[in-house]
Amino acid sequence: MIDQFFYTEKGNFMQTLHPAASLTYIAVLLVLVLAFSHPLYLIGLMLSVVLAIWAAEGLKAWEGYMKLALGMAVLIMIINPLASSTGNTVLWLTPDLPGLGVLAITVESIFYGALMGLRLLIIVSIFCLYNQIIHPDRLLNLWPRFFRKSALVVSLATRLFPVMTASLHRIKEVQQLRGVDFQAGTLRQRWGKYLYMFNILLISSLEDSLEMAEAMQARAFGSGPRLRYRRDYFRPRDMLCLISCLLAAGIALYALFDGLGTYSFYSGWGDMPGGSSNLPIMAAILGGLSLPALLSWGAQHCHYLESRI
Amino acid sequence: MVKGFFTVRSWFFIIGSAGLLAFAAWLADVMVQPNWGMLSLAIITAILLFLYLSFEEGRVSAREIAVIAVLGALAAAGRVPLAAVPSVQPTTFLVIISGYIFGARAGFMVGSTAALASNLFLGQGPWTIWQMFAWGLAGFSAGLFRYILPNGGWRSMAAFQFGWGYIFGWIMNLWTWLAFIAPLTWQSLLATCAASFWFDSLHAAGNLIIYLLIGRGVAKALERAKRKLEFSYLQVENIAE
Repeated sequence: MIDQFFYTEKGNFMQTLHPAASLTYIAVLLVLVLAFSHPLYLIGLMLSVVLAIWAAEGLKAWEGYMKLALGMAVLIMIINPLASSTGNTVLWLTPDLPGLGVLAITVESIFYGALMGLRLLIIVSIFCLYNQIIHPDRLLNLWPRFFRKSALVVSLATRLFPVMTASLHRIKEVQQLRGVDFQAGTLRQRWGKYLYMFNILLISSLEDSLEMAEAMQARAFGSGPRLRYRRDYFRPRDMLCLISCLLAAGIALYALFDGLGTYSFYSGWGDMPGGSSNLPIMAAILGGLSLPALLSWGAQHCHYLESRI
Repeated sequence: MVKGFFTVRSWFFIIGSAGLLAFAAWLADVMVQPNWGMLSLAIITAILLFLYLSFEEGRVSAREIAVIAVLGALAAAGRVPLAAVPSVQPTTFLVIISGYIFGARAGFMVGSTAALASNLFLGQGPWTIWQMFAWGLAGFSAGLFRYILPNGGWRSMAAFQFGWGYIFGWIMNLWTWLAFIAPLTWQSLLATCAASFWFDSLHAAGNLIIYLLIGRGVAKALERAKRKLEFSYLQVENIAE
């Protein structure tokens, strides 16, 4: 069940994109969801993210993500009306609460809270998409060009993480064979047993790290400029996706500069800024952001297209 | 380390970070309501870039890299065995003690690596960059703490560990507050922090208990590892003698 939350190789079109193209796509989605505050733009963004998740065959995982994020979204929906008494349409005046006084629950603050809850759900959906389409190893391969030492540290730590968790289980089994019962005793005693296990792991891992450093030196680490080996190819599909999402980002910037895509919640209910001029702009942004999903659908149904891109 | 700021890569980092901040500031200014959520994310990213820059440009041996990676992986793995108890984990404890023993730069690297590496397995999310910042800062501040209070003793370290349980929670709350709550007032900040009060308290108590139970043993093991990292160059003529 939990495996579906993480990257699993499905071989679909979205997973074959170059990590730089996928990462740019995710970054553009993330910037736009933070930049837009208008309900229609946010709903449009949610639809294009869900479309991409569908193309990545991750709808089941998305349901799980939504269940987890819903609690946080509800919290945001509750805090906003309680924290803000501004707005013209007062629904309810609370009794005099100690330390807070009389709070006015307004329609505007409830609406703002609901929109911010939606924004959180979109952000979580974007990271669901990220976890579905970007292989962690391919992502790590992107960074050594800019962050040589830091990327090495993260790569080593990532390789060691499963080793450490396996070692923890191994140490626990050895302790149990020696008669340690992790369920017995008071809370302090049980904690002590777990933390003693952690201490053993620390000491043995520090010894291992020195061997690892010697192995790195034996392989000429630090003796000259580092070489890089590339395995990811930048194909026409990557270029198409990159251009489409950058175009969408450009149009979105133009829209924001023109005062579109944002909404003033607490200055009374108003018309949509820009009126009907929003529609072609929204269509262009959402079209650009939906292109990877559309290409995925096209590649599935047209082998000629798949071979060309 | 300062001379590193004059390399081409350093300028790339500086111009990149400045551009990121300027872009976020411009975008926040263009909007009807200033977008503090995006601006804060840009500021945090720029700070992380600068701290990574200092690590990239400094002299780091293979042994240091290996020890930092091992401690980062260990701090990340520490999130697993006590996962059933919310907010209680040895990660913050280990990051702080690493920063205290190995210094601010190593502390930052252990903290940010623990967040990034563990989330590669536990799931990346909007929280990743804030966890990288919060744990990185915990390690960095522990290095500064030792610099300011070299003979602080175990009581001050226990208080530091306890305090970071809350500071970590407040940093993580900051983005929720900036990105999803309006208006940004003390009341709304307090309401956001109040929602996580029990989790933060569990985190703080967990740090304190873990430190009191195994803190001295872990510090000794790390001091021993640090001594093994240290070396000095011998002049060739001295060796010949």
